[in-house]
Amino acid sequence: MLIEILQQTINGLAIGGVYVLIALGLTTVFGILGIAHFAHGSISMFGGYLTYFLATSQGLPVLAAIPVALVAGILLGMLVEILAYRPVRNANHINAFIVALGLTMMVEGINLQLFGHEQVVIPTGLSRVFRLGGITVPELRLYVIVAAIVLVVAMMIFVERTKTGQAIRAVAENRDAAILMGVNVRTIPLIVFGMSTALGVAAGIMVGALFAIAPGIGEGLVVKGFAVLILGGLGSFPGAILGGTVLGITESIAAGFISSAYKDVIAFVVMILVLLIRPQGLLGRAP
Amino acid sequence: MNRILALLPWLLALALLAVLPQVLTVKYYLHLSILALIWVIVAQGQNLIQGFTGYVSIVQAGFMGIGAYGSTLMGLNFQWPLWATMIMAPLITALFALATGYPSLRVKGHYFAIVTLAFNLIIVIVLVNYSELTKGEAGISNIPKPWGGNREAFYYLALVLAASLTLLAALIARSRVGEILLAIRQNEDLVAALGIAAWKYKLFAFVISAMYAGLGGALYAHFQGFINPEIFGVAQSLDAILAVILGGSGTIAGPAIGAFLVVFLPELLRFADSFRLILYGLILVLATIFMPIGIVGIAKAAFARIIRREVRHGG
Repeated sequence: MLIEILQQTINGLAIGGVYVLIALGLTTVFGILGIAHFAHGSISMFGGYLTYFLATSQGLPVLAAIPVALVAGILLGMLVEILAYRPVRNANHINAFIVALGLTMMVEGINLQLFGHEQVVIPTGLSRVFRLGGITVPELRLYVIVAAIVLVVAMMIFVERTKTGQAIRAVAENRDAAILMGVNVRTIPLIVFGMSTALGVAAGIMVGALFAIAPGIGEGLVVKGFAVLILGGLGSFPGAILGGTVLGITESIAAGFISSAYKDVIAFVVMILVLLIRPQGLLGRAP
Repeated sequence: MNRILALLPWLLALALLAVLPQVLTVKYYLHLSILALIWVIVAQGQNLIQGFTGYVSIVQAGFMGIGAYGSTLMGLNFQWPLWATMIMAPLITALFALATGYPSLRVKGHYFAIVTLAFNLIIVIVLVNYSELTKGEAGISNIPKPWGGNREAFYYLALVLAASLTLLAALIARSRVGEILLAIRQNEDLVAALGIAAWKYKLFAFVISAMYAGLGGALYAHFQGFINPEIFGVAQSLDAILAVILGGSGTIAGPAIGAFLVVFLPELLRFADSFRLILYGLILVLATIFMPIGIVGIAKAAFARIIRREVRHGG
């Protein structure tokens, strides 16, 4: 029993890492720009597909394909900000949400057009399995967990310690005051979208290596990402990290002990319960 | 005089829709028109909560699914007559809406949108996995159709229902309840400060909107004769939102026009084949950026400009 719980916790940490990366991107965009960036999941999957494409048809080593996909993600995120979200910046927030829905359709359509209907798995060649007591840890899962931690730490350092990060936090705190202090509010959204999309692409690559990428996966992922935001509190970094980890582990344990078909239902029920008891999320500030 | 003038476009549209089956030579267009009328009902429901109350719900297709499966399964398992199950469908949907609306309406804005979206996902997951009852992903076929599947008769049924439910939506919008819903959209705190229990009105709007969807779903099931969980997914809930936005949010004509658009637009884009999804998304993005007030909003603005010019020149 205990071994089984530990095993499912380890499994849950890998998928939790994916959720954390997706949620960090969503929470940054939401916290700073107030946009519920629904297309985030589909764009992340684009990055996963691109890595697969480079690593298979183009014969690039996976480790070389990943940085290319990350850079493509940064550029794509910036493009989306300029072309789609900037024009609705000053409109009602619902408009940005509708734009996000339209973008999701477009990106899903582009993914289908470029990469087809088949589900694909990024070939990593990492198939060793470590054994620790009664627990088995596939090498790939371990690397995914480590990579997720590295990315989260890197992002925290960027936001907390650099001048640009400071400017981003200033805009999140008080847009008008930030403008008065000389922060360029045109470049901040670009940086935020570039960074968020890079994190999303990293998550997309992880999904492609751990499970598979297929049409529709991105939408499921973005919903989970939003569930994490609700769990942790909208706009809160520590909340996204805690929420993602909790959701990953809960789902994994629910799948192992209750029912794998209903694991998503259980995840959403947890989210709704948290919302009822603490509407501001686990680590969110009271409104 | 003014009131009659305002009713004129409605009567014209109704007359046009009434003769439509007689002039349509392509059977497929009749099929699409019936679907569009069903979507008018669904979109009018969506407009009550999204357009008037200002709460973007993403579970409308899920509620359609509850109506569709509810009506179908009652007919299948209890051998109730088709008419009885179709009347029961919105009532069952209302019960689900009460149970889901009460917790989700405690939160606002994006939170509400995401919680309702989660409910839609839960409905689909249960429909897929509770296969002893729902036959899972394969779906249920050979659902009984009224009048032995006579399309023209069904068209008029859908038209009468769509027209009367549009009228009902207009009556709700003009009532005191409708005014309070509008006030909630504009400033919920103020409504609460006036001593009005806003949650009751929000729940009312949510439940009524779900009943519209439930009836629309039941109609859909008995029109197509086949349902599966995929039909009632989040993508279709987004279509309901689109119908409201494209047509004109918070207006009565908007959702009706938008419903026809979301049914016919993908068909018109059929020539684009695999680019259809991309084009559809692009139209949505461009429409939101360049005409956020919807078709009805633009028409009203244009009409007002003409009237003003008339007045200036005449007087």
